Amino acid sequence: MNAGGEELAAAAAKRRDSEPLAEAPTEEVRRAQEERLMRTWQTPGGWRYWSSANNSDVGLWYTAMAFFFFLFAGVLALLMRIQLAVPDNDFLSAELYNQVFTVHGSVMMFLFALPLFEAIAVLLLPQMLGARDLPFPRLSAFGFWCFLLGGVFLCGSIFFDAAPHGGWFMYPPLTSRYQPDIGADIWLLGFSFIEVAAIAAAVEMIVGTLKCRPPGMRINLIPLYAWYVLVAAAMILFAFPPLIVGSMLLEIERAFGWQFFDPEGGGDPLLWQHLFWLFGHPEVYIVFLPSVALIAMIVPTFARTPVVGYSWVVLSAVGTGFLSFGLWVHHMFTTGLPGISLGLFSAASQAVAIPTGVQIFCLIATLAAGRVTRSVPMLFALGSLMIFVLGGLTGVMVAMVPFDFQAHDTFFVVAHLHYVMVGGVIFPMLAGFYYFFPLCNGRQLSARLGKIAFWLTFIGFNVTFFPMHLTGLRGMPRRVFTYPANAGFDALNFVSTVGAFIMATGVAVIVWDVFRPKGKQGYSPRNPWGAGTLEWLQEMPGKPWGIRSVPEIDSRYPLWDQPNLLRDVDEGRFYLPDAQEELRETLVTSVIDAVPQQCLRLPGSSFIPMLAALTTGGFFIFGTYHLWWLALASLVLAIGVIWYWLWTGTAIIPETEEKDVGLGLKLPIYVSGVAAIGWWAMFITMLADLTAFVSLVFGYFFFWTIHDDFPPDPSPGPGVFWPTVAAAMLLGAWVLTMLARHWNRRDRPVAFYFGLAIAAALEVAGSGALIAGPWVTGLDPTTDVYPATVWLLVLWTVCHVAVGLIMQLYCVARRMAGRMTARHNADIINTTLYWHFTALTVAMTVAVIAGFPLVD
Amino acid sequence: MSETWHRRLTFRRMGNICRLGLGVLWLMGCSGNQSTLDPAGREAERIAILFWCMVVGAAVIWLSVIGLALYCVRAPAESFSRRRASVLIIGGGAVVPAIVLAVLLVFGLAMLPGLVTPAPEGSLKIAVSGELWWWRVRYLTTSGEPIELANELHLPVGEPVEFQLESDNVIHSFWIPSLAGKMDMIPGRVTRLALTPTRIGVFRGVCAEYCGTAHALMKFDVVVEEKPKFDDWLAHQSQLAKPATEPVAKQGQDLFLATGCHACHTVRGTTASGIVGPDLTHVGSRRSLAAGTLPNEPDEFRRWIALTEEVKPGSHMPKFDMLPAEQRDALAVYLKGLK
Amino acid sequence: MSQTSEKHQSLWLLTASPLLWAMHFLLSYITASVWCAKFVGPGGSLTGVRVAIAVYTTLALVGIGIVGRCGYRRHSHGSAALPHDADTPEDRHRFLGFATLLLSTLSAVAVLYAAFVVLFFRMCD
Repeated sequence: MNAGGEELAAAAAKRRDSEPLAEAPTEEVRRAQEERLMRTWQTPGGWRYWSSANNSDVGLWYTAMAFFFFLFAGVLALLMRIQLAVPDNDFLSAELYNQVFTVHGSVMMFLFALPLFEAIAVLLLPQMLGARDLPFPRLSAFGFWCFLLGGVFLCGSIFFDAAPHGGWFMYPPLTSRYQPDIGADIWLLGFSFIEVAAIAAAVEMIVGTLKCRPPGMRINLIPLYAWYVLVAAAMILFAFPPLIVGSMLLEIERAFGWQFFDPEGGGDPLLWQHLFWLFGHPEVYIVFLPSVALIAMIVPTFARTPVVGYSWVVLSAVGTGFLSFGLWVHHMFTTGLPGISLGLFSAASQAVAIPTGVQIFCLIATLAAGRVTRSVPMLFALGSLMIFVLGGLTGVMVAMVPFDFQAHDTFFVVAHLHYVMVGGVIFPMLAGFYYFFPLCNGRQLSARLGKIAFWLTFIGFNVTFFPMHLTGLRGMPRRVFTYPANAGFDALNFVSTVGAFIMATGVAVIVWDVFRPKGKQGYSPRNPWGAGTLEWLQEMPGKPWGIRSVPEIDSRYPLWDQPNLLRDVDEGRFYLPDAQEELRETLVTSVIDAVPQQCLRLPGSSFIPMLAALTTGGFFIFGTYHLWWLALASLVLAIGVIWYWLWTGTAIIPETEEKDVGLGLKLPIYVSGVAAIGWWAMFITMLADLTAFVSLVFGYFFFWTIHDDFPPDPSPGPGVFWPTVAAAMLLGAWVLTMLARHWNRRDRPVAFYFGLAIAAALEVAGSGALIAGPWVTGLDPTTDVYPATVWLLVLWTVCHVAVGLIMQLYCVARRMAGRMTARHNADIINTTLYWHFTALTVAMTVAVIAGFPLVD
Repeated sequence: MSETWHRRLTFRRMGNICRLGLGVLWLMGCSGNQSTLDPAGREAERIAILFWCMVVGAAVIWLSVIGLALYCVRAPAESFSRRRASVLIIGGGAVVPAIVLAVLLVFGLAMLPGLVTPAPEGSLKIAVSGELWWWRVRYLTTSGEPIELANELHLPVGEPVEFQLESDNVIHSFWIPSLAGKMDMIPGRVTRLALTPTRIGVFRGVCAEYCGTAHALMKFDVVVEEKPKFDDWLAHQSQLAKPATEPVAKQGQDLFLATGCHACHTVRGTTASGIVGPDLTHVGSRRSLAAGTLPNEPDEFRRWIALTEEVKPGSHMPKFDMLPAEQRDALAVYLKGLK
Repeated sequence: MSQTSEKHQSLWLLTASPLLWAMHFLLSYITASVWCAKFVGPGGSLTGVRVAIAVYTTLALVGIGIVGRCGYRRHSHGSAALPHDADTPEDRHRFLGFATLLLSTLSAVAVLYAAFVVLFFRMCD
C-alpha cells in the first residue's frame, strides 16, 4: 500500500464528529502557540516581501493587478467612446482605434475578468474553508508572476505602436497573413502566460475545494462559492486547451509558414473559429460563475437567512458549466454552416438559460424568506441583478438564429455582452469589494462613497449601453473606427459617450475609496456584516496564519449555528492550534465527508516562483522576437529552476510519520498515491493536456471533413512501419515505468535503475522512430495542411516523451539521493501517472497518422 | 371558417399589429435605409416580426423578475416561508422558463429553413467578392459573360436573388440590413445568401466582419427598382464605355492609360483591363465612390485620386498627388463621364 | 446505513447525466456535419441524420432516466424531506441524490431541445 494509506484507513475507521476541547489551554500555552504560529506564517519584510507565498499576500497582489488592468482597459474604452462620439471623427486614427479596441477586449477578458476570479479565490477560498492556505501556495505565486509578465507585455505594446490589432478574437487569415507586424505575436505571447496561470489556478481550486476543507464540512455543507469555483476550475481544464492549441497553430503558421488556416495550402479559417470559440464561450461562464458566487455569499448575509434552494444553486452551477460547452457555434451562425447544425447550437443556447435563471430565482427566494438589510454590497447586488437579467434576455434573443443573422457583429451584441459582463462580473466584483474589503486590511470602505459610486456607475452604464441595442439594429456594425453622418447613429453614439463618462466618474469614486488613506478610520469590528460563513472568523486586521485553529464544522453557516465557535477557534480548542516544528501546516480531508486524512506541510516564502515565471517567460518572449538561442537558454534555465523547486519543496520525507493535530487525532504527514494532493495536481493538469491533444486530433479530423482528399490518396506519409515501431518502443517504455514503480515499492533499487535506464533508451529511440515516419517519407509541413498536421502530432508526442524522460531522470536522482524510498514514493507514482496519459497520446497519435489512412 | 383562412387571419392580424408597432417606432426613429427595423425585404420582415415578439416578451419578463426581486427586498420580514419561497424557485425559475424557451426555440427553428434555402432555380444570381476594402460585383447572366461592376447593386423588386459570396483575402461579411441577414465571406469557401426585396428604394450595405484597417469604410449601395428599370440598368452596365469626346475628358482618358491606372482598373472598351482594383466602366453613374465612402462628384474624384491614403487609411491604391492638379482634373472629368 | 457511508459515494454521479447530454449533443453535431460535408453535399437529404439523432435521443433519455432514478432513490432514502442541509451522512447522501435528480431533469430537457431539430430540417442547406 502507498505511504499514508494505512494511516488513512485507520483515521477513517475511528472517525467520529469531535467536540472541541472542553477547556481552553492556559493563557501561557496559548501565547506560546500564537508566537510560534506568527514566526511560522509571518510575511517577510523589506524587499523579501515579494517572495511571499501566503495566499493573503499573493491574493492581494493578484486582485490589485487585475483591477489595475480593468482601469487600463477602461481608459481605452473611454478613448474609443471619444472617437465615436461624433461621426467622421479624427481623434484616433483608424490604425490606432483598431489597436485600442483589440487591446480593450483582450485585456478585459484575459487580464481582468479571468485573473480576477483567480485572485479572489486565492484570497478568500482558504478563509471560507477554514484552511491556512491553498494546497500549492507557490504555484499560485508562480501563476501571479506569469500573469504580471504577460500583462505588462501586452499593455506595454500599445505604447510602442506594436499592439495587436486583429480584434480580441484574432481571426485568420487577417492575423495569419495580412498583419505581419509583431502585434499578433504579442497577443499570442501575452496569452500563453495567462493560459499557464489559469491552469495553475484550476489545479489550486479543484484540490482546494475538494481536499482542503475543515473536518466535518461534508459536501452538502460547503459554501456556495466553493461549488461555483470548483465548476469554473473544472471548466478551465476543458476550455483553455483548445485556445492553447489554436494559438500554437497560429503562431506556427506566422513564424514557420505551416498552412493551418490558409486555404491555399488546404487550411481553413474556420478551424480557428471552432478552436477559439470552444474556449471563448465557456470562458464567459468561467468568469461569470465565480462572480455570481460572490452574490450568493452576500445575499444570505443581508437577508439574515440561509440561502433558499442550495441544491438548486448547485444544479445551476454544474448545469451551466456543462451546457456552456455546447454553445460555441452560436458565435459562427453567419459562416454558412448547415441549418441543422445551427439549430443544435441554438437549442443548447436556449437550454443554458434555464440553469442560469434558476440561481437568480434562488437568490430572490432567499430575499423573500429573509429580512433584508440595506447596505452598499446589497445595492450593487441588486444593480447586478437588474443589469444581468436584461443581458440574459438579449442573450436568449441572439440565441435565435434568424435574429442573430441581423444582430451578429453589430452594436446589439456589444450591448448584450456588456450587459452580461458588467451585470455578471463587474457589479458583483464591486459588491464583493465593499463586502470583503475588511478581510483584506481590516478597514471598511465608505458607505456614503459607495452609494454615490453605485448610482453613478449604474446610471452611467445604462446610458452608455442601452442605446447600443438600437444603434446595432439600425445597422451599425462593430469594430468600426468611425461612421458617416446622418446614417441614424449620431445621437445614439453621442448619448453612449456621455454615459461612458458618467460611469467612469463612478469608477473613479470607487478607486478613491479604495486607495484613500484610512489610518484615522480605525479598524472594522470583527464580522462587521454579521455573516454566517467561516471567512468572517478573521480578526481585524487579519493575522498571517489565517485561522487560529481549524474548527470541526456542523452546518452551512457555522457562525450562526455553532455556539461558541468564535471563542473555541480563538482559544485553540480545535485542530492545529500550534506550529510546534515552526512549519506551515493545514489539513487535507476526504472529498465527500471531509474526514481529516493528512497534515499537509506547506512551503513558505521563496523567490523561486518568480524566477520560474521569468525563465519560462523568457522562453516565450525571446521566441516571439525570433531570438532562438536565447529562448532555448531560457527554457533550459526554466527546467533547472523547476527541478530545483520540486527537489527542495515537494515530497519531503518528514521527520516523523504521524503528527498529533489536536483533539487526540494523529494524521500522516506524507501521503502518496490516489489520495495525495500531488497526484491530484498531476491528474488535473494531464486532463487539461489531454484535452489539448484531443483538440489537435479534432483539427486532423476537421480537415478530413472539409477536404475530399485528406489524407491524400495514396497517402504520401508517414507510412505504417516507423509509427508502429515508435509505438512499440514508447509503450514499452511506459510498461517499464510501471514496473519501475513496482520495483521501487518492493525496494529493489537495481531493478528500478535498470528499468528506467532501458525506458530512457526506448524513449530516445522511439522518438527518433516517430520522427522518422514523416521525415523519411519527405512530408514538408510548409507545403500543405496534411504534412503540417502530421508533423505537429508527431512533435507534440515527442515533446511529451521528452518531458516524461526528464521526470524519470528526476526519479532516479531522487532515489539515489535518498529523497525517495520504497515507502515515500510520490515522485515515481506521479511520474507513472504522467506516463499513463503519455501512453494514451502515443497510441492515439500512431492510430491517427498511421492507422486512419488505411481505413479511410 | 377553414383552418387555413383562420390561420391567415391570425397571421395577418399579428402582422398588422406588428406593422402598427413598427409604424409608431418608425415615427420614433427606427427608420433608415440601413435599419433592420425598417425592413424592405421578405427575410428582414420575418426577422423583424420575431424581434418585436421577443422584445415584448423580454420586457414583460424583465419587469416581472425585477419587480418580484424589489418586492421581496421590501417585503416585511419572513413574509414568505422557506417552503413558499422554494415553490417560487421551481415555478418561476425552472418550469416557466423551460416552457417559454421551448416555445421560442420552436418558433426560431421553424423560421430557419426558409432563411437558408437557396433561391428557386432560375433566379437572378450575383457573385460578390469581398476585397480590401471594396466589393467586386458580378451579375451572372445565363447567356454570355458575367457583367462586372463594383460597390453597387441594383435589384428588381419582388424577385428572389441568390448571392454567391467569396473572398480571396480575409474574412468579410455581406450585409444589407434592410433586406436580410448577413453572410460571411470566407476564403476557401463559397457561401450563399438568398433574399427577396419587397420595397422600392435605395439602401445601404456594409461589411460586418472586421477585416482590417479600413473595415469601417467598406460599404455599398443597393438600389431596388421595378423590373423594367432594372433590366434597362443591367443592359446599360453590360455595354462598353463610350469613348470620351470632350477635350478635357479625352485628355483624362489618355492619362488614365498613361499614368498606370489601367494596371489595376478595367474600363471595358479601352485597353485598361487591370483586375486588382474595381471595374470603372460605368463609375460615373454610381451613387458613391470608394466603396460608399465619398459622394460621386468630380471634386470627390479629385480628392480620392490625390489623397487616397487620407480618405481611406490602409488602402492599396497609391495616391496620385505627384500628378499636377490640371491632370488630376482631367482624370476626374473623364471618370465622372463614364456613366 | 452502510449505503450512505463515504466509501460508496462519488461526485462523479452528479456528472453522469450532463455527460450523457454532452455525448448526445456531440454525436448529433458530428453526424450532421460529416453527413452534409462528406456524404450528401449542400441541398442533400437529411433523412439519415434525423433517424440517427432520434436513436441517440432515445438512448440518451434512457440513460438519463436511469441516472435520475438512481438520484431519486437516494434523495428519498430514509425519512427526511428537503432541504438536505443537516450534518449527517444520510442528509449528505440525500443531497447528492437530489442534485443528481435535478441535473438529470435539466439534461433531459436539453436533450429534447436538441432533438427538436429533427422536426424542422430536411435538407443540408
